[in-house]
Amino acid sequence: MRLSRSLAYARNVAVVEVEELARTYRTSTGILRRRTVEVEAVRGVSFEIAKGELFGLLGPNGAGKTTTIKMLITLLLPTAGTARVLGLDVARNAREVRKRIGYVFGGDRGLYERLSGLDNLRYFAELYGVEPRVQKLRIQELLQLVGLAGREREKVEGYSRGMRQRLHIARGLLHDPEVVFLDEPTIGVDPVGARELRATIAALTDAGKTVLLTTHYMFEADALCDRIAVIAQGRIVAQGTPQALKAGVGEGTVVEIEVYGIEDAVVERVRALDGVSNVGLEARDQKQVLVVQTLPGRELVHAILGHLHGSEVGRVSSREPTLEDAYVALVE
Amino acid sequence: MKSVRVFFVGGLISYRALFSWLNPWVYVPSFLVMPIFQILLFVYIGRSAKLQSDSFYVIGNALQFAAIPCLFAMANTIAGERNQQTLGYILITPARRLPLFLGRALPVATNGFFVALFALVAGSAIVGTHVAASGYAPIVLVIAVSAFACTGLGLINAAIGLVARETAVLSNILFGGLLVLSGANVPVHDLPIVLRQVSEGVPLTHGIAAARKLASGSSVGSVLGLLGAEALIGLAYAALGYALIRGTETLSRRRATLERA
Ligand SMILES: Nc1ncnc2c1ncn2[C@@H]1O[C@H](COP(=O)(O)OP(=O)(O)OP(=O)(O)O)[C@@H](O)[C@H]1O
Ligand SMILES: [Mg+2]
Repeated sequence: MRLSRSLAYARNVAVVEVEELARTYRTSTGILRRRTVEVEAVRGVSFEIAKGELFGLLGPNGAGKTTTIKMLITLLLPTAGTARVLGLDVARNAREVRKRIGYVFGGDRGLYERLSGLDNLRYFAELYGVEPRVQKLRIQELLQLVGLAGREREKVEGYSRGMRQRLHIARGLLHDPEVVFLDEPTIGVDPVGARELRATIAALTDAGKTVLLTTHYMFEADALCDRIAVIAQGRIVAQGTPQALKAGVGEGTVVEIEVYGIEDAVVERVRALDGVSNVGLEARDQKQVLVVQTLPGRELVHAILGHLHGSEVGRVSSREPTLEDAYVALVE
Repeated sequence: MKSVRVFFVGGLISYRALFSWLNPWVYVPSFLVMPIFQILLFVYIGRSAKLQSDSFYVIGNALQFAAIPCLFAMANTIAGERNQQTLGYILITPARRLPLFLGRALPVATNGFFVALFALVAGSAIVGTHVAASGYAPIVLVIAVSAFACTGLGLINAAIGLVARETAVLSNILFGGLLVLSGANVPVHDLPIVLRQVSEGVPLTHGIAAARKLASGSSVGSVLGLLGAEALIGLAYAALGYALIRGTETLSRRRATLERA
């Protein structure tokens, strides 16, 4: 067992190995009459990430993405299952794992408000044991990389949300970690900045690092990830390359029709049409859009419009399925 | 080497990061003016009730006031990680925990030392009490040891604050307890027997007694026992405080208690 594992590791098969990982939270409320509530946040997930791979973890709010990451970064112990990072068990070998991983959590908290950005980085450089001689240069490089150079001496309390997010990213990379966990790293960053950050993330894997990314932006996952796992209610519901996931929705096309106040019965009739694989109704601006996924080789626009007879109909268009279509089909 | 830097450099940076009283508008009134009021209050009570000498109150309250910086700053610099939501980031670093947490105690104790020393010098000057010249240097040492011991109690306070997410309530209670029990204002032998025993086990009691003896001209040799007792009490409290902090960290990995905001 041990031999085969070290051999597998030597062949660089998997940098992150997760087997049947599970985590239950137990919280109590009330002072006099205490009630205990159990939340099964992660219910047995398994996946592997190869060296240099950019792996996406997608799923609705509360699906268990952050909880999974917290177990992988040694912050939480699993209640069941195992996880290894670079061959090291995250529960038993926490300190060795910590030396080799970086963690970036999206959001504007988690920084020392009263310190400058520079001092925030300095402090964590000390905690990660970055040699004093290397520190200065490394911090300057990272400030350049995330676009904070020139603002590093200002106190974090005066930083905008996106600046904080950039500082988080710089902090996660201080010790040049081999594996990087990014939990919604582009949240709150402006479009141009987000694009730059995506380039930065892509550059991480080019430099041989292994990355686990969570995001709610499907185009971002599609553009960046080599492979994706979709997690819902603590379980992985699909896993594969973005192409494979899109193909899973069907090779067909997606027909989008603008409608105004359509009845449920009509939607159901469209859903019942032969050749329709999925139907959704989305609200966009003032109007609703009926999104119909059709099987390959079917021309269903006319049939669908036939059912919409009598309702007011706007623009009609058809397109290839996107990762978002695949995602919606998977988690609904 | 890395741990040495975590202790000294890291300790100082986190002290600046988390202790919000360093702003002069807060520091001067809280740490330099307040102890003088406290000294005057008890000196005047002592005079009007014809109890102890002025010097008794000046020394007692100057040293006891070290509890304010030591208790509050220690709790804030560790439990404050919860408010800033930085705790998770700290806990996933490979840094050794002993220098990580105790490094924060060094600036706390140093500040406590200066606050008590200032209170003693300024208080003596204002009230007009004198310290035997032979006592100057050893009293400075006694204050340092007392501030260290009080910081030990501060570490326990910090561990509780880490879980409770509140630091001011307990810090105030402990300060009040020391006001009564450390012998700063009530001679220990005048306390009820149970409280007298508690008094023997809390920081500052032995330090205050040693400083009073030195001020009245006793030799250093005659206070070594008191000084040793104060240092031992400080060590015991610091060890317990550190163990509690580590215990909370371990428990948190299992119960997810600490990373909740
Ligand atoms: N510390 C905690 N104590 C109790 N329950 C928790 C805790 N942290 C998370 N949970 C619960 O676990 C479940 C999964 O949460 P988690 O943060 O992993 O979701 P997520 O997939 O990251 O969601 P999001 O996309 O909103 O970030 C949720 O039901 C959440 O309420
Ligand atoms: Mg999350």
